[in-house]
Amino acid sequence: THFAHAQRFPGGSMASRKEGAGSAATSSSSTTGPAGKGKGKGGSGDSAVKQVQIDGLVVLKIIKHYQEEGQGTEVVQGVLLGLVVEDRLEITNCFPFPQHTEDDADFDEVQYQMEMMRSLRHVNIDHLHVGWYQSTYYGSFVTRALLDSQFSYQHAIEESVVLIYDPIKTAQGSLSLKAYRLTPKLMEVCKEKDFSPEALKKGNITFEHMFEEVPIVIKNSHLINVLMWELEKKSAVADKHELLSLASSNHLGKNLQLLMDRVDEMSQDIVKYNTYMRNTSKQQQQKHQYQQRRQQENMQRQSRGEPPLPEEDLSKLFKPPQPPARMDSLLIAGQINTYCQNIKEFTAQNLGKLFMAQALQEYNN
Amino acid sequence: MSRFFTTGSDSESESSLSGEELVTKPVGGNYGKQPLLLSEDEEDTKRVVRSAKDKRFEELTNLIRTIRNAMKIRDVTKCLEEFELLGKAYGKAKSIVDKEGVPRFYIRILADLEDYLNELWEDKEGKKKMNKNNAKALSTLRQKIRKYNRDFESHITNYKQNPEQSADEDAEKNEEDSEGSSDEDEDEDGVSAAAFLKKKSEAPSGESRKFLKKMEDDEEDSEDSEDDEDWDTGSTSSDSDSEEEEGKQTVLASRFLKKAPTTEEDKKAAEKKREDKAKKKHDRKSKRLDEEEEDNEGGEWERVRGGVPLVKEKPKMFAKGTEITHAVVIKKLNEILQARGKKGTDRAAQIELLQLLVQIASENNLGEGVIVKIKFNIIASLYDYNPNLATYMKPEMWQKCLDCINELMDILFANPNIFVGENILEESENLHNADQPLRVRGCILTLVERMDEEFTKIMQNTDPHSQEYVEHLKDEAQVCAIIERVQRYLEEKGTTEEICRVYLRRILHTYYKFDYKAHQRQLTPPEGSSKSEQDQAENEGEDSAVLMERLCKYIYAKDRTDRIRTCAILCHIYHHALHSRWYQARDLMLMSHLQDNIQHADPPVQILYNRTMVQLGICAFRQGLTKDAHNALLDIQSSGRAKELLGQGLLLRSLQERNQEQEKVERRRQVPFHLHINLELLECVYLVSAMLLEIPYMAAHESDARRRMISKQFHHQLRVGERQPLLGPPESMREHVVAASKAMKMGDWKTCHSFIINEKMNGKVWDLFPEADKVRTMLVRKIQEESLRTYLFTYSSVYDSISMETLSDMFELDLPTVHSIISKMIINEELMASLDQPTQTVVMHRTEPTAQQNLALQLAEKLGSLVENNERVFDHKQGTYGGYFRGQLFCPSALPGFWSPSCLFTVIHVLLPSPLPYRPEGRLPQERGLHASGRVPPAAVSDSLLMASLLCLWPRPFSL
Repeated sequence: THFAHAQRFPGGSMASRKEGAGSAATSSSSTTGPAGKGKGKGGSGDSAVKQVQIDGLVVLKIIKHYQEEGQGTEVVQGVLLGLVVEDRLEITNCFPFPQHTEDDADFDEVQYQMEMMRSLRHVNIDHLHVGWYQSTYYGSFVTRALLDSQFSYQHAIEESVVLIYDPIKTAQGSLSLKAYRLTPKLMEVCKEKDFSPEALKKGNITFEHMFEEVPIVIKNSHLINVLMWELEKKSAVADKHELLSLASSNHLGKNLQLLMDRVDEMSQDIVKYNTYMRNTSKQQQQKHQYQQRRQQENMQRQSRGEPPLPEEDLSKLFKPPQPPARMDSLLIAGQINTYCQNIKEFTAQNLGKLFMAQALQEYNN
Repeated sequence: MSRFFTTGSDSESESSLSGEELVTKPVGGNYGKQPLLLSEDEEDTKRVVRSAKDKRFEELTNLIRTIRNAMKIRDVTKCLEEFELLGKAYGKAKSIVDKEGVPRFYIRILADLEDYLNELWEDKEGKKKMNKNNAKALSTLRQKIRKYNRDFESHITNYKQNPEQSADEDAEKNEEDSEGSSDEDEDEDGVSAAAFLKKKSEAPSGESRKFLKKMEDDEEDSEDSEDDEDWDTGSTSSDSDSEEEEGKQTVLASRFLKKAPTTEEDKKAAEKKREDKAKKKHDRKSKRLDEEEEDNEGGEWERVRGGVPLVKEKPKMFAKGTEITHAVVIKKLNEILQARGKKGTDRAAQIELLQLLVQIASENNLGEGVIVKIKFNIIASLYDYNPNLATYMKPEMWQKCLDCINELMDILFANPNIFVGENILEESENLHNADQPLRVRGCILTLVERMDEEFTKIMQNTDPHSQEYVEHLKDEAQVCAIIERVQRYLEEKGTTEEICRVYLRRILHTYYKFDYKAHQRQLTPPEGSSKSEQDQAENEGEDSAVLMERLCKYIYAKDRTDRIRTCAILCHIYHHALHSRWYQARDLMLMSHLQDNIQHADPPVQILYNRTMVQLGICAFRQGLTKDAHNALLDIQSSGRAKELLGQGLLLRSLQERNQEQEKVERRRQVPFHLHINLELLECVYLVSAMLLEIPYMAAHESDARRRMISKQFHHQLRVGERQPLLGPPESMREHVVAASKAMKMGDWKTCHSFIINEKMNGKVWDLFPEADKVRTMLVRKIQEESLRTYLFTYSSVYDSISMETLSDMFELDLPTVHSIISKMIINEELMASLDQPTQTVVMHRTEPTAQQNLALQLAEKLGSLVENNERVFDHKQGTYGGYFRGQLFCPSALPGFWSPSCLFTVIHVLLPSPLPYRPEGRLPQERGLHASGRVPPAAVSDSLLMASLLCLWPRPFSL
């Protein structure tokens, strides 16, 4: 129940301070990069939706879904339902996708979705499709799959968002739920389906301009809020100790490991790009030489009074090497960025805790 | 039915027919053997009398006759078989046919057969009653003949239009056929039935009519009974019998088909034909007789037949009354030997002849020389008995061979004046002149070597788990005895080369045997009480170690062929290793430099080498030298083909890689079962030594990214163990080792011990060692030591200091041992600690980076390489001079997601200074995860600080 708690009392406790970064009511502080630099530019200004309001029910359902079905690196996914009110996207319900297994390869997702929505409509639940949610493993969600599916969502339903739920952070005591959507720039690029270096250059896309985060508000009914109040009073102090755990090495190690893997990938990607560049320039040289030779020969011929050699299609002779798609490296960079954010957040909290604990120890002594 | 056949072939009236058969018979295998055995017979000259044409046609007619017979009894399956043969025979006769034109009788049978089949086919009732095989054959044959006849279409139509004529034409060539077919011709018109009926009425027509009626109900039964009837009535000539048979069958058919018009005219016509035929038959008969006479004059076929079973009778060696002299016997011997190796020679008979010759020779006191010579040849013939290299001798042959060699050795020992040798030429042989020393060509050593090979072959080809194998193995003693005798013989008379060879044989029969007597003797040191026993034991034979030493040293000194020496060295090492003389074995192996050039040796030597290495490894293990054991076994085990490399079986999977030939060759290389090294033992030894090496190593290099594994095989097993969804108690040897490894990883030596040494493992592995208890004790100690090391590696980071006494209690090792192990670790810089002498404690220095610090270091390294790569891209854009200090300008938006290199470098510089300046204080393992309640572990602070510093400088995305 921490999430509700945190939401209602921003800055109330340690936990909620941290929480504030993630999902607190009005802030957008956990955007990518420092000070929302990228954000201001791409900005949610283009979109009608400036805020996502999630029902407590939805949050609970997502958490429950992961707890029951997800484990380890496996992710769970589902559909978000709701509607747009003014500049708010209100998510009022959701339903899960079944886990894919090898057995039912011919499972029809679209069919399933339509039926679920129809059934929900019968019981008077919002049935408008407004996005989807996905769980994540140590914050690794910036992938091609996510990009593609979010693109298709946004292509069809403009206001749709993807909710990323991090169960590990949540288990540590702070709800982590973030809403993302693709920036209009990236949408353009994706529409063209051209991920060559030039296209990306033209689109002026960098890794921090890929996704934009939309601030989230979690909304509960007043009755529930009252109940929370009561529970808050009753809960023992010990329940909150979990937040003060100093055992951080595991989490940090895991994050570092993942970060290292991505760095490796990035390294490989650069090498690939490097090879491409080398090849291109080599070919350019060859092409140039060839043209020069041709020219010389033609000059000689001219002087001898012979007709010049016919023009040849140079692009046929010199097929330019296939430029590597840059999208992957963009995604990797984005992912690295997310990891860094995670680590930063985490260590910042831990440092705080450590100093506090130290002070406590000194006081005790 | 059988009666029908017998009458067909034996009948007197058709003597020409049987004559023909006789002609064909001797063409078979027996004929070839004839000349060699009875060289005096003069009949060879008269053998070839018949032209190829006759021969081929006869073959055809014979087949045709069988087909007709089968047709009569409605045996379609037989028809099909014979038809196929006929087709083949026709193919053979093709060349003649091309010359002479297609023989009429052939066309006839084709046409007849087709008609016959069609009839059968349409006879629905009959078909139903036919048994399955027949029905199947019918349909197959029908299709076949249809297809086949297409080629002869013109001939057949020609024949059908004018059947009688064709019959006449062929009459002379083949009587029997023409008769049958002419009958059938008539049937075709549907006339014959009637005609036949009429004819029948002269004899048992009424009966047959009755039968015919019955036939509609029960066809087959009636047919049989009809047959019987026929035999009773018309037994005068088989010809007419068969005729009737055929006729009746067709009658049957026609009745069934209800299309037998029986007009008077037809009947008459048919009768006329019959008369004609009878006349013709008569002519033919007389002609046949003439031919027969001619045949008899031409070649005495009967006699040939009589001569065939010569082997069964006692072959006459010499004409009676011949004086048996050396010259005669030797001439005879040469005569017999000349047939050797020739095709068609009856090898068994040859051996028998030779043995007879020995008897005769000894009966006539021709002297030992001759006997020795013949014996040599007998043994050689015995070896020759199997033409195929892969097949092995039959037991009786083998026994004979052993006896023969023994006898030969007896003679040679008894007569020291006989010289044998390969180099003695036939001409210079002296077999009977008693004044001079006897000289006989032949090499006893070669024979014995061959015998040994045969023995190996027998062992290879016997199922090792059968009683038979044990029986065969008993012969090993005999083989050894013979080799020993030859050795004694050659030591007196042979050249050094020969001695080397026979020594090697001896060695090969000695090296793999564990010398229990010597072992026992070692165990019981010479004391007064057991002295007599010991003497007795010593009298029984010299130590195999001494023997090996003597034989091998001789070979080392005298041998000039590399192969024998190599084998001897390997066997010597093997023998040392087997008897736990590790240092001798190892030194010999190293001194011989065999490891360098063994790949040039032939496969059997390589197999021997592999065996030796394995034995060496096992020996090292028994001595507690795990590292040496691991190294020796590494190559064999890591290939995963230990079975193949040791010559103890072929792998199934490589079946497609090798063809039949290769497989045969490989099969021949297999080591007989009694020499096998237990593969499970081998693997267990390897895995356990790998475990003792790898687990401490893994613990020591837990967080080292560049850690290499010592044993891939072992890691593979560990992974397999991890993949198991459900972990039950270990079953197999491998599972035991994996479970033990896991326990050892935690420093839990007691559990590890219980997994390695228990009932199951004892039964499977440890009890196979000669000194099992010693090995087990050694193993326990090793486990304790390595567990202690592992424990220190794994948990040193959580101790400030630890008392050696505690450690000694934990691992049940005495204090000095613990002290020495820890000292060694400190000296090797494996453990950052120092010993505090007065308190007997180990004080940890805590300079090892923590896991996080390690990770950060690795990350820094990776970032370094990333920066380097990034720079190269940058260089490319900027030209070669590009420096990253101008980095702020760079970052083309075409390369999104790259960071400023200078920024990265700062990060790396922060991280790189090492050793890390952090000196965290101790933490105990219990405190992990519970820090909030107690002291704050400074290590955690430092980690976080480190990360924070890292992250403050973390790449800021920058844009243009």
